[in-house]
Amino acid sequence: MGVVYVVTSGKGGVGKTTTTANIGAGLAKMGKQVAMLDTDIGLRNLDVVLGLENRIVYDVVDVVQGRCRLKQALIRDKRFENMYLLPAAQTKDKTAVTEAQMVELIGALKPDFDYVIIDCPAGIEHGFKNAIAGADKAIVVTAPEVSAVRDADRIIGLLEAHGFHDLQLIINRIRPRMVESGDMMSVDDMLEILAVELLGIVPDDDSIVTSTNRGEPAVLDASSRAGQAYRNITRRLCGEDVPLLELTEKEGFFSRLKTLLAGR
Amino acid sequence: MVITGEALTEDTALVARTLRSGQKVRCAGNVLVLGDVNPGAEIIAGGCVVVLGTLRGVVHAGAGGDEAATVTALSLLPTQIRIASRITRPPDGQPAPDVYRPEVARLKDGEVVIEKYVVSK
Repeated sequence: MGVVYVVTSGKGGVGKTTTTANIGAGLAKMGKQVAMLDTDIGLRNLDVVLGLENRIVYDVVDVVQGRCRLKQALIRDKRFENMYLLPAAQTKDKTAVTEAQMVELIGALKPDFDYVIIDCPAGIEHGFKNAIAGADKAIVVTAPEVSAVRDADRIIGLLEAHGFHDLQLIINRIRPRMVESGDMMSVDDMLEILAVELLGIVPDDDSIVTSTNRGEPAVLDASSRAGQAYRNITRRLCGEDVPLLELTEKEGFFSRLKTLLAGR
Repeated sequence: MVITGEALTEDTALVARTLRSGQKVRCAGNVLVLGDVNPGAEIIAGGCVVVLGTLRGVVHAGAGGDEAATVTALSLLPTQIRIASRITRPPDGQPAPDVYRPEVARLKDGEVVIEKYVVSK
C-alpha cells in the first residue's frame, strides 16, 4: 500500500507543479513505483512540465465519470516505466469532481504504487479540498516572500483542521546572496512563523526555467543545483538522513579574480 | 474558521495552540493564548488578551467597549491592536524591531500606549 502526498501552497506560482514533477521523477529514479495526479482541473500543467502532454487521451474527469478505466487514463512516463501520470482535464472545471470521488480514485491507485503525489491547485476552495481529500500526508511549498509565507501559514492552518499532522515544508527559490545581504527572508525567519518540519530548501536556479519548458524535470539533470536539492528531498522522503544543501554558491575562477583585482 | 477555545475559568478562554492566518478567536471574556498569533489571525475578546508567544496578528480587546482591557504578549509585534473603540497600528516605514520582551498595550487618555510589562504588586 503506497503513501499519498499532496503538494500544496495556497499561493500560485511558488512551484507546486515543479515540485510535484521533481519529487515524482526523483522517486521514480530511485526505483519506486510512482503515480502523479494533477488535480488542477481546467489549468493543467503537470503533463507539460513532465513532457507528456502529447500522450493524453483520457483524464481524471473521464475516470471518475466512468468514461474510461483508471488504467486507460494513466500515462506511462517516457523515461521511467515505473512512473505514471493521471492528467487533469483541461476543458472542465474543478466542480467536475467531488471529494468522495477523489477518495475513491486514490483508494484505487494506492495498492499499485509506492507513492502517489497529488499536485494541488492554487487557492483554498473546491480544488484544494478535492486535492487533500484522499491524501495521507501534505507537503507545503512556499517561497521567501511575505505573501507566500502568509498563504502557507493559512494552508497549514486549514490542513491541521482537516486532520493533517507532521506537515513538511519546502522553501523554494531561495537566493543566497539576497539572504546574505538581508534583502530576502531567511530560512530561519520563515520557520519561526510557520513552525513546521523542514523537508528541504531549493535555490533559485535558471536551469529550472529551461527544464520546465523542455519537459525534463531538473532532478534528472546532474549539473542542476535545484535538481540536487530535489534529489536530497526525495532521499529524505525515503527516510534517508541528508543534510541541507549548502546555499553559498561556489565562486568561479573569474569572480575570484575580479574580487582579487577590485579588493586590494 | 472560528475557534472558541476551552473555558479556563468562567470568563476566560484558553487557546492552547498557535493561531495561523485565517483563524479567528471570538470570546465574550478574556483570551489566553499558549502559542503565537501569526499575521492574518484575529482575536476578538470582550476582555483582555494575553499571548504567551509572539503576537503578529490583529487583536481587539474590550470589544464590547471595556476601556480598561489590555493586550499583553511575550513579544508584541501586532499588525493592529484595537482596544474598545480605538484602533492603532505600528508606525509606517519602520521595520518591526526584533524585540523579545513582554509588553502590554492599554488605553491611556484615549490613546493606545505600549509599555514594558511590569508585574504589579
